[in-house]
Amino acid sequence: MCAASQTIVDIRHVNKSFGALKALNNVSLSMSLGEKVVIIGPSGSGKSTLLRSINKLETVDSGKIIVDGQDINDPKTDINKLRMELGMVFQNFNLFPHKTVLENLTLAPIKLKGLSKAEADAVALKLLDKVGIKDKAHVYPSRLSGGQQQRVAIARALAMSPKIMLFDEPTSALDPEMIGEVLDVMVTLAKEGMTMAVVTHEMGFAREVADRVVFMDHGTIIEEGTPEHFFTSPEHDRTKLFLSQIL
Amino acid sequence: MTETAKIDVGEGAAIPSKNDWGLFNAWVISIVGAVAAIIYLLVAQPDPYQRLLVYLSDGIVITFQVTVTSICCACVIGLITGLGRVSKNKAINLVASTYVEIIRGIPLLVQLFYIYYALGRFLNVHDLTAAIIAMSVCYGAYMGEVFRAGITAIDKGQTEAARSLGFNGKQTMFLVVLPQAWRTILPPVGNEFIALLKDTSLVSILAVSDLLRRGREFSSETFLYFETYTLVALVYLVITLILSKGVSIMEARLSHYVRR
Repeated sequence: MCAASQTIVDIRHVNKSFGALKALNNVSLSMSLGEKVVIIGPSGSGKSTLLRSINKLETVDSGKIIVDGQDINDPKTDINKLRMELGMVFQNFNLFPHKTVLENLTLAPIKLKGLSKAEADAVALKLLDKVGIKDKAHVYPSRLSGGQQQRVAIARALAMSPKIMLFDEPTSALDPEMIGEVLDVMVTLAKEGMTMAVVTHEMGFAREVADRVVFMDHGTIIEEGTPEHFFTSPEHDRTKLFLSQIL
Repeated sequence: MTETAKIDVGEGAAIPSKNDWGLFNAWVISIVGAVAAIIYLLVAQPDPYQRLLVYLSDGIVITFQVTVTSICCACVIGLITGLGRVSKNKAINLVASTYVEIIRGIPLLVQLFYIYYALGRFLNVHDLTAAIIAMSVCYGAYMGEVFRAGITAIDKGQTEAARSLGFNGKQTMFLVVLPQAWRTILPPVGNEFIALLKDTSLVSILAVSDLLRRGREFSSETFLYFETYTLVALVYLVITLILSKGVSIMEARLSHYVRR
């Protein structure tokens, strides 16, 4: 495909406004294959908008976003095809309530990748086993706890064998005692070498998993660096203030 | 017009609640009462009533025909209109919205007259066809609004999740949004079915020999107004109650994934 470059996501000078609110202000960020980037920042800082613009759930007003060698805003790019390579996990899980857990995982592989039901089921059951809820394969999502639902949501995204996983505050809607089980799954995924972009408030996760931590505020990237740098000697006052509030 | 996420269940016969399976609910009392009354009349006074029921039977068939055909057409028109109303394409949206505005602003009886008499000057429309067209066009607009409300009531996160997996807009609508929307749509659509059934009595004004018209014909020959309209009312009631029960059973079926 693209010239064997390590860079898989390249965001260049993007801007995005919601009315008078400037959500992204000249943001540039790139990720290389296998890298885990954790994006932190106060609410309203634009971190979710940045993440959602990577798979074009938000369309940026200006700037360029190259994913896997393709400009996502180029009309010639088949965004639906590109999205198959970008797994997305939402704060509110967004499982399909009218489908069983297993059907949630197999719907897209069957319809979009042309897998047979048997093939898709086999893949799905393996993934459910991985996230620890194989026994719930045939129940509807409404029967699951929040933590279980989010693990299913992760498995659903993985069922498309994406190259990159995007996590938009995956633990923010969970009861505290369920956060751990979701983070465990994400840590496992990270150790397997998945490329991950994670918007989160879980600093423990950032410290353990991140190759790079990005701090955003008011639509701009204030500071980025390794977790060591970040949590021991942040440079900017705003970063220090934020960390002092959250830690 | 305000956008409401919750669908209001409008007028029309009440659809029995799926939790209300007790013996003494309004539905059971009404159906048992109506059926018992019909049987009683047929047995106690076989002379006018049995003759009357035989006379009315053609009309019952016609009423069924108009109702079922119109419901099918109105559902198709309603779905297309509803999809048009939520379409991002401005032209499609405008066409669908204008259709709804115009149709909702004209009484059904006037629409019936218009299609049968006014347009009948230019086109040779069969009376039964005219009736079905008018009913479908009118109820298609109402159902379009119900479909629109049902579609917009589905959480945006569902669309985002489907699009993120790589589904295009159409697949998202038909695989994820609509299957969920049916459940919210069904009670108000069921109400429209029942309202439509009752409104088919309007077609008796045209030369369509439906249940009501057969009753009118019978009573004007025999002067048995009380007997005729009692039976006509009871027959409408029984059909309506059966239809509403059917809707409530379907509703329970569609809710199987909701945690109780």
